[in-house]
Amino acid sequence: MTRVQIEIMLGIILVLASSVLLIVVGLNEEERMEEFVKAHDAQAIEIGASLFEANCSGCHGSQGEGIVGLCPPLNDANFFTNRLREVGWSGTLEDYIVSIVSSGRTTSTRPSEYVGQGIPAMPAWSEQYGGPLREDQVRSIAAFVMNWEATAVEGVTLEQLATPTPSAEELADPVARGQTVYLQNGCGGCHVIDGLSAGVVGPNLNEIGVVAATRVEGLSAEDYIRESILNPNNYIVEGYPENVMPQTFGDTLDDQQLDDLTEFLLAQD
Amino acid sequence: MLKSLNFHENSQKVIRAIDNRIRIITAGLGIDELQRVLRGDPPKERPNPRYKVHTTSFLFHIRPRYYQKGSTLFAHTFRLGFFVTFFFFVELVTGVILMIYYVPTPAGAYESILNIMSSVPFGKLMRDIHRLGAEAMVIFTFLHMFRTYMTGSYKKERSFTWFTGVILLGLTLFISFFGYLLPWDQLAYWAVTIGTSMAESAPVGGTEVNLLLRGAPDIGAGGLLRAYLLHIILLPLAAVLVISIHYYKVAREHGISLPARFEEGDDVSQEKKKEAKQRIDYIPDLLTHEVFLTFVGLFVIIFAAIFFYNAPLENIANPQQTPLDTKAPWYFWWLQGMLKLGDKSLMGIILPTLIVILFIAVPYIDRNPHRSFTKRPFAIALGILSLAILIVLSYMGTPFYAIETPAATRILQDLAPEEGVGQLRAVPYEQLQPGIYETNVTPTSDLCLDIPYGCPELESLFAEFTDRVNQAEEEGKLSDAQGIMVIEEWQANLKKITMRIIWTDPESGESKTYQHNYYLHEERLGE
Repeated sequence: MTRVQIEIMLGIILVLASSVLLIVVGLNEEERMEEFVKAHDAQAIEIGASLFEANCSGCHGSQGEGIVGLCPPLNDANFFTNRLREVGWSGTLEDYIVSIVSSGRTTSTRPSEYVGQGIPAMPAWSEQYGGPLREDQVRSIAAFVMNWEATAVEGVTLEQLATPTPSAEELADPVARGQTVYLQNGCGGCHVIDGLSAGVVGPNLNEIGVVAATRVEGLSAEDYIRESILNPNNYIVEGYPENVMPQTFGDTLDDQQLDDLTEFLLAQD
Repeated sequence: MLKSLNFHENSQKVIRAIDNRIRIITAGLGIDELQRVLRGDPPKERPNPRYKVHTTSFLFHIRPRYYQKGSTLFAHTFRLGFFVTFFFFVELVTGVILMIYYVPTPAGAYESILNIMSSVPFGKLMRDIHRLGAEAMVIFTFLHMFRTYMTGSYKKERSFTWFTGVILLGLTLFISFFGYLLPWDQLAYWAVTIGTSMAESAPVGGTEVNLLLRGAPDIGAGGLLRAYLLHIILLPLAAVLVISIHYYKVAREHGISLPARFEEGDDVSQEKKKEAKQRIDYIPDLLTHEVFLTFVGLFVIIFAAIFFYNAPLENIANPQQTPLDTKAPWYFWWLQGMLKLGDKSLMGIILPTLIVILFIAVPYIDRNPHRSFTKRPFAIALGILSLAILIVLSYMGTPFYAIETPAATRILQDLAPEEGVGQLRAVPYEQLQPGIYETNVTPTSDLCLDIPYGCPELESLFAEFTDRVNQAEEEGKLSDAQGIMVIEEWQANLKKITMRIIWTDPESGESKTYQHNYYLHEERLGE
């Protein structure tokens, strides 16, 4: 055979082989695309989880359990079954979450339970409305929140880690106990304490242990802090609006917790 | 009656008509001649009908009528130039297909890549081939140039062809570089940020060029659109023009160089030298060979794209978050390596410019008329030395060289990189047993007695974590170090993994913590 003939023959074989490869790929395309969509949705939930931890957990709790008097829970059955009817939303729950996370909320829909009478109840998070997040990030957060549906309504239960028992040292230290109270009640969602929380809605608490004594004449630092927790509207720091901080901590905190929290705040200097 | 049909005459008429039609289609070859072509016989008609098409057809008139036999030896050219052209066309075709789905805006770009991957049949294959073809084109362009240099084929009448070749190497690199940005993921964004910031280091006009490329101080909507237009219109048009000039020189003026031994080899007989100068016609020999090579190329690139290559796609570009291991596209690592060696404007602009000028001037500097290896030892040595320097500089350009990351950050980044899979994400979901694992406290074997078949991947991850922390401690990078890994069920199908390294700062004696949280979903992509 001449070189030309060999090349023609091999060429034909190669064309056939390439066609076979393409056909095999083509037959698997549907499945591949489905897999990609699944994996991408999973990734959106992972990203949403990180964003939620960084931006939302301060008020809504690290696992979306909410904080009484401050922010509603996002992981309960009510949110998944009742919420849309409550606010009269016509779209899907996911759209609702995207919308609220994007543009925030100027007033609370349940002012008797949560903050937001005449002042913003939730900040806007989307770049479009002056927030820090891109649209795709907002959608990832919504995907993450939607993923609570299984545990909220479908009866899936999660294995809980045995919380490591606090050491005796920690138990004996009121400041350490107070820090736990501070974190568990969402104080960090609005207030800054360096290294602990980064909220910007309320006054900075970095040096509250010192500042508290100078705020109101004749009132000791301890009394000032205690009063401010129980009746926030009594002493409003200049430049901050009234009625933002929940006035329910008197009911939700017991005396021991209140003492510990006060001790903890006095230690911030 | 049969006679009255005049069968013979009519059939002759039909055959003549068909023959005529074929001559029009093939621009000169009749049925008889086509048969002779396939049989491998020499042309029968005079003048040679196989040359006619070179004057009547545009596409054939830019092809050579023949090459000298010696210049078509495979071991002389390795068909490198052919394959560069081949990849150029592959890029053209796949690129146009991808353009149908691509939107050059920051909000739309990444989204459109996801769309190509998730809802366009053959979309992933097109993307893989386009990316692989681009990498291959850069490699083949470089190899083609290196071959030309080593065989001394840039001399005399080929000096200008060499010059256009240098321009084409530059165009190839820049087309590829601007294409790099288009997926708008972290990889793209930061590689191009690094690349364009090199332009900034130019002593004169650097800031302006950088601003012109990026469209703003940082790459944003403007920069993306500019990169897109450069990638799809301006640079390819320039490439088509220069390729035409480059190829026209080869095809119509000086041909492919003969291997040096046929020109100046002392031990090669006159007969062989004469044989090497025999003509090999374009039709049929070279044409079939080109078509054959095209099918070889197509098969290889389709095969490789399906089985061995996945075009990278990282998370969407985030200008606020610089990834830990940022690097330029690999073909610019040598430049990054040079930048680590000294002053930014000297190493980043002045020296590279000199190198390019030197590169273009090679045929004019090298006055040695000989082309054999043995008769130009200095040039050959310089070529090999340059290649070695290029490789070393490229290595120095990677983050492995002369960049020190804090030990704890390094360990977590290696186990669970920001992008890609990594050892942590490679652990099968069901093996992620909730619990608290402390290095040097928790045993590294038999971790999951409740899981059927155990959890070998989780164990080896934890063993690696323990090793790395202990190793950093031995090397003195961390003192009193302990690693803690907490796995929690976070949502249905979602687990949270906390990786924490605690150590004592030797200077202040304070306890330091570096921690990173990872969320892993059951259906995530991971091998």
